[in-house]
Amino acid sequence: MFDRRLCAHIDWLMLGAVYLLCAIGVVMIASATADPSRATASQLPATQVYALVLGTGALLVCLVIDYRSFGERAHLIYGGLVLLLVYVLEFGSVRGGGRRWIALPWFNLQPSEFMKIGLALVLARLFSETRHQAPSGRELAIAGALTAVPVVLVARQPDFGTAVTIASVVLGVAILAGMRLKLLGLLLAAALLTAPAAWTFALQDYQRGRILSFVNPSRDPLGAGYQQIQARITVGSGGLWGKGFRKGTQGQLSFLPVAHKDFIFSVLAEEQGFVGVLVVLALYAFVVLRAVDTARRARDRLGALLVVGVLSSFLFQVVYNVSMSAGLAPVKGLTLPLMSYGGSSLIATLAGVGLILNVRMRRFTN
Amino acid sequence: MTGPPSLQRRRLASRLNALSVCVVTTFAALAVAFWYFQVVMNAEYVRLAENNHQRRLALRAPRGILYDREFRPLVENRDAYTISILREHSRDLDRVVRRLAEATGVAEQRIRDELDRHRSEPRYRPVVVIGDASLAQVSAVLARRLDFELPDVVVERVPTRRYPALGVGAHLLGYVGEASEAQVQTGGLRPGAVVGQSGVERAYNTELMGTDGERRVMVNSVGREIATLQEIAASEGRRLQLTIDLDLQLAAEHAFHALGYQGAAAFLDPRSGEVLALVSLPAYDPNNFATGIDRATWIRLNTDVLKPLQNRAIQGRYSPGSTFKAVVAAAALEEGIITPVFTVTCRGGATFYGRFFQCHSKSGHGPVDLRHAIEKSCNTYFYTVGNMVGIERLHKWAALLGLAGKTGIDLPNEVESLVPSPEWKKARTGEKWYAGETISVAIGQGQVSVTPISLANLYAAVANGGPHCPPRLLKAINDGQGWRPPDEVAAPEGPRLKPETVAALHDGFWLVVNGAGTGGRARIPGHDVAGKTGTAQVISLEGGRRAAGRTERDLRDHGWFAFFAPRDNPEIAGVVFAEHGEHGSSAAPIARHVLETYFAKREGRPLPAFEAPPGAPAPAAARGAGAGQ
Repeated sequence: MFDRRLCAHIDWLMLGAVYLLCAIGVVMIASATADPSRATASQLPATQVYALVLGTGALLVCLVIDYRSFGERAHLIYGGLVLLLVYVLEFGSVRGGGRRWIALPWFNLQPSEFMKIGLALVLARLFSETRHQAPSGRELAIAGALTAVPVVLVARQPDFGTAVTIASVVLGVAILAGMRLKLLGLLLAAALLTAPAAWTFALQDYQRGRILSFVNPSRDPLGAGYQQIQARITVGSGGLWGKGFRKGTQGQLSFLPVAHKDFIFSVLAEEQGFVGVLVVLALYAFVVLRAVDTARRARDRLGALLVVGVLSSFLFQVVYNVSMSAGLAPVKGLTLPLMSYGGSSLIATLAGVGLILNVRMRRFTN
Repeated sequence: MTGPPSLQRRRLASRLNALSVCVVTTFAALAVAFWYFQVVMNAEYVRLAENNHQRRLALRAPRGILYDREFRPLVENRDAYTISILREHSRDLDRVVRRLAEATGVAEQRIRDELDRHRSEPRYRPVVVIGDASLAQVSAVLARRLDFELPDVVVERVPTRRYPALGVGAHLLGYVGEASEAQVQTGGLRPGAVVGQSGVERAYNTELMGTDGERRVMVNSVGREIATLQEIAASEGRRLQLTIDLDLQLAAEHAFHALGYQGAAAFLDPRSGEVLALVSLPAYDPNNFATGIDRATWIRLNTDVLKPLQNRAIQGRYSPGSTFKAVVAAAALEEGIITPVFTVTCRGGATFYGRFFQCHSKSGHGPVDLRHAIEKSCNTYFYTVGNMVGIERLHKWAALLGLAGKTGIDLPNEVESLVPSPEWKKARTGEKWYAGETISVAIGQGQVSVTPISLANLYAAVANGGPHCPPRLLKAINDGQGWRPPDEVAAPEGPRLKPETVAALHDGFWLVVNGAGTGGRARIPGHDVAGKTGTAQVISLEGGRRAAGRTERDLRDHGWFAFFAPRDNPEIAGVVFAEHGEHGSSAAPIARHVLETYFAKREGRPLPAFEAPPGAPAPAAARGAGAGQ
């Protein structure tokens, strides 16, 4: 099933960049979770390494099996994940205000993270079968429905951030699949028009508070605006060279909440400075551009769109999280792929990376 | 390969290219944003980050210790604990107040009132809500701090003044309090600084204050201290050695209490002007001020008719009565108007300017010379001599001998003693001086009104034979390199009197105590005490109102006893003022007890116990109510 010659076509550069980011992430998690008042090290970096091992397994599985096989079974994978999301809503374990996890003996599974890949697969398959220059209205409607189901399920957990991330997949795949830009403009206009209604009916009070305090953080400097102000201070005080590993006062003294998850990039910016920020941003940009290049070279339409689907949520999360780290976007529970603490996120992201490598590796095979 | 698939392929390729451009642009924009925050705005965010995690805690400097002349501590420091709220980082002040009230048992409202009082101050400054916390309160707060329940509450150890019990020396030592706004602005003090507000504490505040230190600590987001970043120790204020002799101070106050008198007393070393004891009664407890006085006590002290906050020794002005005769005699002799053998025949009074002036002996003293006129305090003699000398020369000699004006003692808010002159009257009332007024002045009544310290100054001058040093309380100062005398010690002032003047005065005052005079109660065999009693009339001021029965004030006269000892080469001089003592002889036993204590110490004998003289008034218990609060 697996041709050894394929190994020659693995994109080792991208793989190296990905693992370098993971390694930097583990180091920053170690710094962010260290308790300066105690000598003992935190368990969390070790947990992250464990997730990295599992993620590497996922990556290998997604690499070895031909992506076309995944494409053929995309509807099954998608369906299975939808069932898991329904299961989570009913029986999932609750932590931090959301019902998101399925507690397995060796792992806490967060199905919504894997849904990003599942949706990328099913949409790639859908649009790869388009016979015309642009996808038809019917196809777009199906894509919309396929997206709406997991988005609604995840939003009800509630996990607004992940829901939006999943929605970003359909946007990326549809545009790259040739959707008319006129239609895109129409959709955007419609979104703008319905925004006031959504503000009133769809958002919770705390969500409105977060957005308001993003516009004006001093509205409530110790409440909703607190994290945003602290994030900006954390980043800004880092300077050109940073304060040094475990020397950042903002992260070390827990002025930033959940620094090891949502604000890992702020910790990096504080301790490693602008230089560290540039290095990590360059690594992310390299991974993304390499993925775009993979899409360009893909043997078939399915491969190209699959790469785009996986890339969409990845890119959205990276850009959003980095912006949020500097107080440039409202605070939202969105992790930084590859670097933030979180098992499911890391495993799902590595699985996605496996698929991208898969497409690139098999660009010459028939 | 034409048709839709190739078109599809081209569109995908062009959109992927567009995506690449978007990605590069976005990441570049992010990099620029981070460059702006981290490099351009770095200094501002560093400041904010430091403000976040660093707290500056003041380390209060202890004030310098005050010693008496034998290095017995008079005022020391103890550790008090204050509980303060840091408003700057507090996310829920209301909750902090509730928790703190719960933990310490202090009423919530009181804490809120304190916070209100400091509302306008910058938020980074902690507000002291409990001034002198009990150990139970401190431990309750510290225990809750460990549990993160009271993150915005700090407990500070503050060195606090400890004064002698029962208000001993209260007026001379003074008290401390928070600097007023005016003091903060003119003195360059930190708001909330504790400064001397009266007495030695105020006069030598600069020396006593010391320099506060500071501790910079690192705190985490819930306000828990993680580490000390920097510590600058506080340095104690300079220690002062006062001229006060604690034994004499205690002896004087004890005698006042034993006899039930209020009043004042000053005991000086006439050779140097050093103040050995300075009494003002009733007193207050300066310890009440040390940690911030409560409103009720403050109001009570201020409205008490006995005026416990007034330092009578330097701020009370009274008619000197017969003690003023020292000025009349000295002026007459020095101006060459009389000699000591000048004799006047007393027939119970005499007529001047058409008015009869009484002597206190109705039958008259007969013919008396200067020595015996002093001994018997013959008014007729001094009416006659005073009339001969005239008001201008009386004023001149009162000033030369240190009675008029301020003595210059190193205490704040001394008031001037008044010995009238025609110019003074002209300026004050616009009227000219009538010669008849001089007659009253000659026996220390009328417009003469002096402070006890200035009268002590006069008798120190008489004891010395004219020259006298301004009274002073500072003997030595220690700025960490050993004791040294104060930088400037005022030179003696006043003219040297003629030997026959000095001899006549010393003889006359010796006879007052050791002859047939009114000062017999101050006699100490073998020690040649010389002195003069005096009576300050209260009735002349209040007579009209007493007649109408509208006043509840005590209208009994005040008693003076001014003295020096021994007669030849005097070592100690001073004055005792017994409020409503009716006569100077009631003040004499107090002076005697202090002098006995002084001589006992000098000769190495045990200190004497106070013995009330036979026939002395029973302690007026009700009138002693203001004492020792």
